[in-house]
Amino acid sequence: MKAMILKEFRQLRRDKRTVAMLIAIPIVLLTVFGYAARFDITDIPTAVLGPGASVAEGMLQEPFRVTTVDPAGDAGTAHDLLRDGDAIVAIVTGPTTIVYVDGTELFTAQSALRRAGSLPPGVQVEILFNPELSTANIMIPGLIGFVLLAIGTIITSLGVVRERAEGTIEQLAVMPLRPRDVIVGKIAPYFMFGVLDLVLITVLGLVLFDVPFRGSILLFAMGGLLFLFVALGFGVLISTVSQSQGEAIQLAIMVMIPQILLSGMIFPLQSMPMGVRWIAYLLPLTYFVMIMRGVFLKATPFHALSMPYMALLIMAVVVFGLAVLRFRRDLAPTRRASRRSQGAPA
Amino acid sequence: MSIVTVRNVTRRFGSFTAVDGVDLDIGQGEVVGILGANGAGKTTLMKMILGLLRPTAGSITLFGRSPGRETRRRIGYVPQDLGLWRDLTADENLQFSAGVFGVRPSPAPEGSGGRLVGDLSLGVQRRVAFAAALQHQPDLLILDEPTSGVAPLARARLWEEIRSRAEAGTTVAVTTHYMDEARQADRLVLMAGGRVIGTGSEADIVGSLQAVVVATDHWDAAFTALDEAGLAATMAGTDLRVPGAETAAVEAVLHRAGISAAVTASSATLEEAMVVAGTP
Repeated sequence: MKAMILKEFRQLRRDKRTVAMLIAIPIVLLTVFGYAARFDITDIPTAVLGPGASVAEGMLQEPFRVTTVDPAGDAGTAHDLLRDGDAIVAIVTGPTTIVYVDGTELFTAQSALRRAGSLPPGVQVEILFNPELSTANIMIPGLIGFVLLAIGTIITSLGVVRERAEGTIEQLAVMPLRPRDVIVGKIAPYFMFGVLDLVLITVLGLVLFDVPFRGSILLFAMGGLLFLFVALGFGVLISTVSQSQGEAIQLAIMVMIPQILLSGMIFPLQSMPMGVRWIAYLLPLTYFVMIMRGVFLKATPFHALSMPYMALLIMAVVVFGLAVLRFRRDLAPTRRASRRSQGAPA
Repeated sequence: MSIVTVRNVTRRFGSFTAVDGVDLDIGQGEVVGILGANGAGKTTLMKMILGLLRPTAGSITLFGRSPGRETRRRIGYVPQDLGLWRDLTADENLQFSAGVFGVRPSPAPEGSGGRLVGDLSLGVQRRVAFAAALQHQPDLLILDEPTSGVAPLARARLWEEIRSRAEAGTTVAVTTHYMDEARQADRLVLMAGGRVIGTGSEADIVGSLQAVVVATDHWDAAFTALDEAGLAATMAGTDLRVPGAETAAVEAVLHRAGISAAVTASSATLEEAMVVAGTP
């Protein structure tokens, strides 16, 4: 037994990636997720509208943070601000003061409602977009992204690593294929199945959980396809830095865990400290959740979602660009040398 | 016309030099066998010719240009592990390869048709790999241990195919450490320690190298005595052969050990030339 334990320690000592996972990852997980995994809302972006807007602004205390003061605003303005994600709470002052709460921000809405008890008499509270504060309504759009991420990242990375493990990557490298030909060819079937999964799980989500779909199918498709590109790009990128399927799965899990916990799918972004929130803003699932909750529940128009679409587009370009560059090392190591020599004067 | 030109090529992996200042020319229609023991540097050299590895120093040109996508169009490659997709059928492998090169797929070799490559015998898999490498009529065929593990009849068939392609103008470079395979080549390039240490026909490589043949009833004692004296002996039947040694030196060792033996000199074989070349 002693010999066995010694052998395992020696092997582990040389497996730096696993050692890093065993030591560094728990520290990172505890500190980052310790800050992220909380339901205490410390920041509620709030709009105050109507003739008494300035007075209401002066009365609001933390966690309410006034983002808009518009004495000319009315219920329509409030609806638009909440739909477009510019505020989570909108207070429309007037003969009857109405507090509108965005029901798609579940925990923030619940926190706001708890504080509504201290409001002056006669103030009405109305929850928009998810009046029953249904958990399924806000979880299903995010879960669709998680499923796409899991399938896209793990399956794609395994597919490419298998070429390396079986030695066929060398055969691809001596064929007149460009790195992008190989990558596009490699991910095309996974992309197709990803699209199929997107449609399938969305329909299932709508049918089984009665999640409403109020927005544009075109915006839904755009968000889904862009996110799928990013997920598949991560898969290819992981495969280029992994020598075995085990390594690929390790890395894929490391890519997925932060997205599950930090994307806003489970824990609200508003409860995260700014440092952790910035990590969330680097994760594609964060933007997918923003887009899908907007499209499914609020019929948010494109102009209000342009930032998350742009973020996903940039991520797709960056991730695929890196994947192609890394893949080039495998497929065409002499390419740069070849260009240099052909470009050199005779 | 030189199809492959290798000039003063070196490849290092950290502090280890796998290929060290190699020069090599391979002409059109030539069948060149790159020969050497494991670790001699032949596979690294071949990978640099294919463009899979970049030389640390020196230059390689194929068809007059640096290895790249255009040169790869003119190359057929059969790696030692065959480079076939085992979860595709023979037909599907050939269709993929033909599709990449933009040619019509060749028919699958007899007995391989609709079966997954992983289910085929090694000999049939090799024929499929050859068919895939040849179907786009490459100008340069690169083969890494091409008949390793293949039955004699199948090996003869494969070499018949290689020879017929060479006669039609295809240049062939073969790495091997099998002497039978090496003898099929027009010209041999012997590598050891990352360097080319001999080139030419088998006779050129062996040259005047001799092996001392020791015939004795006490071959085991003779073997031990020679080994202790630092003379590497091999068994040939019940005789011992000591390649690259002087007859007098062998006689002296045996005499000191009190072993009576008939000691004669004989021409060394290609295998023995390789052993001597690989001995530091």
